[in-house]
Formats: sequence, structure tokens, C-alpha cells
Amino acid sequence: MAKVVTQNIPSPIGESKPRIDAREKVTGAAIYADDLQFGNALLHARIKRSPYPHAFIKKIDITKARALPGVKAIVTGQDFPGYIGLYLQDRYIFCRDRVRYVGDPVAGVAAISAEIAEKALSLIQVEYEVLEPVLDPEFGASPEAPLIHPDLGQYVVANFIFPQPGTNISNYFKIRKGDVTGTWKKCAAIVERKYRIPHIQHVPIEPHVAIARVDETGEITLWGSSQSPFAQRNLIAQSMGISQSDMRVIAPFVGGGFGSKAGVSMESLAVAIATKVKGHPVKLLLTREEEFFTAFVRQELVAYFKMGCDENGKLLAMENKFYWGGGAYTEYGVNVTRASGYSSSGPYEVPNVKTDSYCVYTNHPVGGPMRGFGMPEMHAGLEQCIDELALQIGMDVVEFRKLNCLKTGSILVTGSKMHPTGLLQCVEKAAAAIGWGKKAPPSAPNKRRGKGIALMWKAPAMPPNAGSSAWVELAEDGTLNVGVGGQELGQGVFTVAAQMAAAALGVPYESVRVATPVDTRYSPYEWQTVASRLTWSMGNAIVSAAKDARRQILEMVAEAWGETPEDLDIVNGVVVSFKSEKEISLKNLVIYGLPKPDDQGWRGGPVIGRGNFMPTYVTGLDPKTGQGERAVVHYTTGAQAVELEVDLETGCIEIIKGVSAFDVGKAINPEMVKAQMEGGFVQGMSSALFERLQLKDGVVQNPSFVDYRIATSADIPMDLQAFIVEMPQDDGPWGARGIGEHSMVPTIPAIANAICDAIGLRFEGPPFTAEKVYLAMLDAGIVK
Amino acid sequence: MTINTHPALPEFEYFRPETLVEASEFLARYHGEARPFLGGTDVFVRMRDGFLAPKFLVDVKNLDGTNDLYFEPQAGLTLGAAVNMNRVIASPEVQAHYPLLAEACRSVASYQLRTRATVVGNICNASPAGDTIGACLTFDGVLNIHGVSGPRQEPLAAFFLGPGKTTLKPGDVVTAIHLPLPPEGCAGTYLKLGRNKLSDLSIVGVTALGYPDPSRPSGYRFRLALASVAPVPLVPAQAETYLANDTITPESIREAARLAAEDCSPIDDVRGSARYRKQMVRNLSARALTEVWERLK
Repeated sequence: MAKVVTQNIPSPIGESKPRIDAREKVTGAAIYADDLQFGNALLHARIKRSPYPHAFIKKIDITKARALPGVKAIVTGQDFPGYIGLYLQDRYIFCRDRVRYVGDPVAGVAAISAEIAEKALSLIQVEYEVLEPVLDPEFGASPEAPLIHPDLGQYVVANFIFPQPGTNISNYFKIRKGDVTGTWKKCAAIVERKYRIPHIQHVPIEPHVAIARVDETGEITLWGSSQSPFAQRNLIAQSMGISQSDMRVIAPFVGGGFGSKAGVSMESLAVAIATKVKGHPVKLLLTREEEFFTAFVRQELVAYFKMGCDENGKLLAMENKFYWGGGAYTEYGVNVTRASGYSSSGPYEVPNVKTDSYCVYTNHPVGGPMRGFGMPEMHAGLEQCIDELALQIGMDVVEFRKLNCLKTGSILVTGSKMHPTGLLQCVEKAAAAIGWGKKAPPSAPNKRRGKGIALMWKAPAMPPNAGSSAWVELAEDGTLNVGVGGQELGQGVFTVAAQMAAAALGVPYESVRVATPVDTRYSPYEWQTVASRLTWSMGNAIVSAAKDARRQILEMVAEAWGETPEDLDIVNGVVVSFKSEKEISLKNLVIYGLPKPDDQGWRGGPVIGRGNFMPTYVTGLDPKTGQGERAVVHYTTGAQAVELEVDLETGCIEIIKGVSAFDVGKAINPEMVKAQMEGGFVQGMSSALFERLQLKDGVVQNPSFVDYRIATSADIPMDLQAFIVEMPQDDGPWGARGIGEHSMVPTIPAIANAICDAIGLRFEGPPFTAEKVYLAMLDAGIVK
Repeated sequence: MTINTHPALPEFEYFRPETLVEASEFLARYHGEARPFLGGTDVFVRMRDGFLAPKFLVDVKNLDGTNDLYFEPQAGLTLGAAVNMNRVIASPEVQAHYPLLAEACRSVASYQLRTRATVVGNICNASPAGDTIGACLTFDGVLNIHGVSGPRQEPLAAFFLGPGKTTLKPGDVVTAIHLPLPPEGCAGTYLKLGRNKLSDLSIVGVTALGYPDPSRPSGYRFRLALASVAPVPLVPAQAETYLANDTITPESIREAARLAAEDCSPIDDVRGSARYRKQMVRNLSARALTEVWERLK
């Protein structure tokens, strides 16, 4: 066992402080990007989109549209030759020679009104030569599939992504650990299954919006609903061929992101159009319909699992093959493939693992990051196989999981060692809370009741050197202002930032402000608000900045009092000396310093603390084996359990109880951590029961809330419980690590396992709609 | 299928007549170009999605009597066309005498939409999925219509011709739905099956109303109406007749439910398959009839 470090936890760490943004959000005072006013110069943008999933562009005729009064600019791919993309630069801003999904931008219009822009779209004539589309990732990976990106071999790519030129495979990640082939004969039980997880959409309440303005000198300002202002600054600047410092991104509150507002998507369209109408802000606001098929969607997954254990239930081998349907462009999604590869054992110690994880281009909407970054999709099948394997060997599924799950020091699928983890406690807490092993009778004769459990693990998926920075400064009144580049998406990060700054400096939580909105010109650098990494990474930067300010204050006061900084502390905004028992408020001295005696001048000056954090220890993985010393910064682990009833007359599933237990290292704000667990459970449940983009020949059939159903408050179980396990992270602030995404990772398989417990049926994939469940029961003879 | 990327309300002229006569004359004169509307919860959505583009929208709220909701102990309930569903739900008379109607209204969309949506609008929209139509059918509702030749009444049972199609003639404005006094000792229920619990359109909706009727061999009369399983809101006559003539038992209820499913002709769409819908008509009809029967016994 690793040594558990106990440390003094200062207030308000571990206290459920009210959200710092609650008041302005509840009263409606909070400003979102669409609220910003730009006056008469504002132009409205509309995008001409491809009606075909795959086609050559033969000709674009914009002459009629350009002649329309009120139209100020029309752009096409011919205007912007640069590629754009996060890990793999495979996208043009506007299509140049080829369209790759229904919705691919072909031309953009800026006009004095939205109506004129819309009219102009209808006057743009595009001639296509229709090509055969790829609509399935497994087919897409085959040699028979038509190529979607013939230039794949020329794209700029990060050094840990491995495209396969001449195919539709934009990343191929392998694990070769131990000897899988030779192990099967030693297995007492083997399970082999195939699962298919459909595309879903993030459906943030606030649709994507971007307003771009280019001034006479060529400097670009972008206002938008963004999880990634700094990544946008970098990627858009590169693509437009300008310097990063000539690109400024201002990002007010985000009304829900879930990954869809990470990286760059529609923002580059607004910027590109704005370059043609200098001085005019150009606004692009996606409709809900566009949100469904032109914003990022979650990648689909076709997954094959084979796993075996010995007669005692000890896992011996796994062989997994993942075909990720990445959609038309996989600039961001390629890393989902990698993340699922290096996590492909699930949260288990397995000595022999062979994994092939492919990111495959299809002519579906663009796959991208979504809450969980591949983990909900991968765990959906994996955790069902674990259930089946346990039952096959005659073991209770909880006991099987407890036996095999990762413990501190376990050897991981990448060959490295597991850091301290409370996964076992999570399993125990979830099992106890759901009443594992106790069978309750159904609430009515026409119902069947079941329980299910599933575990998870997930690491922040990011480049090895994703960095954070922060600053703090104080006003005359002693109020602390915290500068961050991370974004408040509703997850509560500004509150956590304020709590950590307060604790590290020694001021009350109520005396902290967060400097918003995030503005790349004034805010400190943050890679992106993704990967559930901010509490940990940005938190470290904030603590470092607050300590820097604290050091400056204590040194100044110590000098003034003739004491040493070690004898001083800052408590509740007051510097106190343990030695002399003197005290002085931070007010004024943090700006003006302190006078020397007898009017002999001053010491000190305005206090400003700076801090940064970047992991420096992440090593690469061998491209042939996927083995390496330390592939990721850490893994958050956890478990969920559900109890549900299946209605035999309708197939409707009612979740009666949902339980979550996650090891968050240290809960900075326990109520918000629990809220993340509840919210993640609900989103996971929604994806398990209702959500699916219904695609037919590349066209989304349900691009609206009428037919894309998401869970409403009425669908949420009355009994939702959340348990916090705290096994500290060695390099996290007070031991904290992330929880934002993890809470929806095990929900699909927990529900699937409970359905199987109730009616004995499994499904190829979610959503487990009433219709799907009922017809399966009918076909299986369970109902007549 | 192509996706309408930027659905937008087309231009139209808003016309608010002062009297019913004026409304009927205007609608008749601009037949094909003018469309009456009440809460607008259907018409505006359909206009935004490009399915309707009337030149004139004629606001028939606030006309004679269309805002009234009144119950006469001798005659029954008259529900003005402009009365919104939340008013129906909150009405003590509806709760006391037609709780089935309140239940059906509660299943429609969300609270916010129900402050605009009306029962008469739901009827005139003539969607087979209309949640409140079943209750009005089983209570033998009668429509009060104002046309170019003055007011008249038409039974709801003969009103629907197809999806969006009714017997209304140029110049007609439905001013109210009248529900006769409910049958003595009746009990009813509306079972709506959506994809999730709140605010969905029905995949299948089953309205059942039962009451003692000594003139029938079974001693009871059951009324059924089915939503989303035929081109029109469907009354499965076979099932009703069967139950009137047989002793009511779990078996006869099952048989009636089977007959109801036999009567319907659902389609496959994004909300559900025809196969599932047929099964659900059978199962939910049985459930609804059993529930009502339990309350009558």
C-alpha cells in the first residue's frame, strides 16, 4: 500500500460553499455569448451546407447570391486553403473539392439581416458529383470502402496519433501485452460479444454561437460559447496564417458544453467570413436543427470483446477490437481511439491483453469529444461481458469485480502501476447502497425487477504537456481576484477556483472573485476545459499563484515586524504572528504596502501572485505494444448500481434507484461533487434509454427535440444516491482529481446488467427503448 | 429527406375579426389563403417547419363565447374554443364531472405550452395523435361551428376525414366543443405511451370510458378511442360492441383489446413501428379497460 498522506485541510476546502455564479444565473443576470450586443455594424452569417453525405464539388456559382442587395460577403473553400484540427489537421474551414457529410459547409454568407443571408443561400448554386458514402465504421475500415480522405498521408498529425494512409483509418492504436493467444486454453470460461453504440448528440441548452470581427490591421476578435478559448486562439490563428497574439477569444459563460464546444468547430466559419468584411462583427448562431447534425456528435462504436478467466474467476486475457465511427473529420476524435486503447482492459488487472482500436472515417456527422471521451461507449459492452463471464464461472458479479478490479499497485494494461485508488471501496459502497444480493419483489404482477452494477475508470485524455496557469491579485478592500483561463460550463469550476484560492491564501470564500469572462488577452493560459482536468490541473496553478501572493505578503509583513515569514500566517484575511501575536488586515497593504517607521518611506507594493502547472512526467507509449512507463496523469475510478423495473406490457423501463460512488481524491466542494454524480447518472441514463441520432443514408432523421428524446425531470429516479470516496491524488490540490465526466461512464452497462437481471435479455446496444425491449421480449417468448 | 437548417416563420398577415360573422366571411372569402388559429401551438410550429404557409392567420380567440367554460347540470359542459388546457385542468366542474378530460389535457406537452394550447385547437388540428380527442369522442362530444350560413352543430364522431382533414367547410370556425352530461356512474382513463415520461407525442394513446348500462347484455357500456394508430383518431367499434354483448371478465377484456388492435392500421415512423403500435393498442386497451372495470365494479 502506498503511504496515505494526511495533511491539514484548510477552510473552505471540503465545504459545500454555495456556487459563486448561482445568483447571476438564477436571476438571469449572467451574460452568455448570444446576449452580447454589437450595434448596427453587426452582420448575420448563414452557411450553405452539403445535402449529400459524400460528393465532389464540381462548381459553385455565387454570382446571383452576391448580387442580392444586403449581402456583404460570400466565401467558399477557394478563399481558405488552410487545414485545421486539434490532433490531426484534416479539415478545411469550408469544403474545397469534396463534401464528406450532410451539413458540410460549402459556402458562407454575411448579410445585413438573417433573412437576406438565408435568401442568399438559396441563390448559391452548387453542382455535385455524388460519391458512394461510407455509413458503417467496420465497413469503412475494410479495403472495399471508398476513400473519404485520399490525402490522409499528407495531414499534419500529433506524434502519438497513427493514421493509415490509403485507408479510412485515421488512427490505429494497439495494445500487445503478454500472450493472449496462448492464454485462451488456460481459461475456464470465455465470453465473446459484439456491441454497437450509436451516435448521440450533446444537446447543450445553449446552441453554438460565435461572433467574429477582423479589424483593419488584421487582428481577429472572437466572442463565443467556448470550452477552449486558448485552443481556438492557437488553431484558428494557425489555420488563417496569422500570429496567435493577433487572435483574441472572449468567452462568456457557457450554457452547457459536454465536449461539443471543445476545440474548434463552427467558430472558424464566422472568423473566415469576417475576414472579408473588416470592421463588421459577423454573427453565426446555430439553430437547434444545425446543432443536431453539424456540431460534434459522439462517435459511434462497433466493439468486439473476448475475455476469459480461470476457474477461480481471475481474469486472464482480453482481446478487444474497436471500430470507432469518427464521422467525416476526426481531428479531435482520433484521441478517443487512443484513450479507449490505453484503457481497454476496463478497471481490471488483466495480464494478457490484445487491443486494436481504429478510428474510422465515415460520411456521418463529425464525431468529437463528448463527456466520457469514449469511456461510456467502451464500458457499455465491456462491463456487460464482465457480468456474463462472472455468471458463466458461477460467481457473484460483485465478488468477481472485487477480485479483479484495480487496486493500488496493480499492473495496468499499459504496463505501468496503478496509483492509490479507492475503486474497491466504490464497489462496496455501491453494492451496499443498492442492497446487492437482496431480491425485492416487483411492484406489480406485470413487472419484473432487476439490479445491475458496473465499474469504470477514466484518465484525462490530453496531450502529455497540457498546461494551466493562474494569477491572483487583491483589491484595497482585501478581496481576492482570481484569474483563470478555464471555463465555467455549469460544472462549478469557478466556485472550486474561488475555494482553492481562498484556502491557499487565507481569505474567506466570500472575499473571492473570479476574473471573468475568460479573455485570451487578459486571462492566464489554459489548454482547454475538457478531460475533467481543471480541478486538478488548474487547481494546482491557482494554489501555486495564491501561495506566491501569500509569500509576497508574509515577506513584506515579516520585514516590517522584524519577524520571519515562518512565524506568520494569513487567517480570514488578516496576517497574524504566532510569535508576537500582532495582527494586521490585508486591506490596503496589498496595494499600498506598509510604511516604514518615522516616515522613512514604504515597503511592498501591489501584490500579484502567479502560478502554473503542467505534468512533466507523462511518457510515450510504444507504438507496437502500447506499453510505457506512465501513459496518463491518473485515473478516476468509480462504480454505479441501479435497480429498475421492466413493464412486461409496454417494455418501458423505470429506474427505481441509482447509486454512484467515485474516488475523487478529495472533494473540494462535496455537494457539487455529488451533483456531478447525479447529473452524470441522468445523462448516462438518458443515453441508455432514449438517445440516438437516427441516421438514414447519412441524413439525421430526428434533428429536433420532438424526436430526439432526452431524459426530463420526470424520468429521473426519485432515489439517487451519491457516495464520495477519497484516496488522495499525489499531485492534486489537497489530493483532488476530476469527476465531471466519469459519472456517466458506467451508467449504460449498469442499466443493461439490471435489465438482464430482470428479463434475461441483452441487446446489441443502447438505447434500450420501450419498443426495443418489448419486441425482444416478444421474440424471446417472455410475453405473448 | 432533407433537413431544413434554418426553419423560420414565413411572412403572414394577422387578422382579428370583431365578430363571428366577420370571421366566417373572411375565411370564406380567402379560402385556401386564410387559416383560423387559437393558441397557435401547432400552426406556428408547422408554419416554421414549412408545412403551412397561409397568407392570413385569423385569430378566432376573443370572439363570442369562445372564452367561456360553463357547466349546466341539465345539459353538460361547453368548452369555448379559446379556453386553454390549463384552465380546463383547473376547472372544478371538469374535475367533478369530466376528470378524464382533465387527465388527457395533463398529458399534453408541458405546462408552458398548455397555457396556450386548446382542446378545440387539438381537435381541429386533426392529428391522429391528438391527446384530448379521445376523451371528447368517448363523451360523445358535439362541435359548435359558426359558418357562412350561421351556427350549427356537428357530432365529433363524424368530424375526422384523415390526417389534418376534417368536415369543416370554407368559412367555418369551431366556437366550442360541447360534452353532454357524462353517463351516470362512469369511470375513465387515458393511457399515453410516449418514448419518455414527459412532453412526448404519443406512440399510442388509449382512452377508455365505462359506465353501467342495464340495457346491454353485459350490463355495461365501454367506449374506446385510440390515438396514433390510424389516419384519424380511431374508435374501435368491434371492441365496443363485443364488450356490450358479453359478460365482462378478464378474458372478455383481453378479447376486446385484441379486437381493438385488429381495427387499427398504424404506420412505421421515427417514433415507433407498426408492429409495436399494434401490440401496444392491445396491451394498453386491456390495461385501460381493466382499470376502468375495477373502478366500476
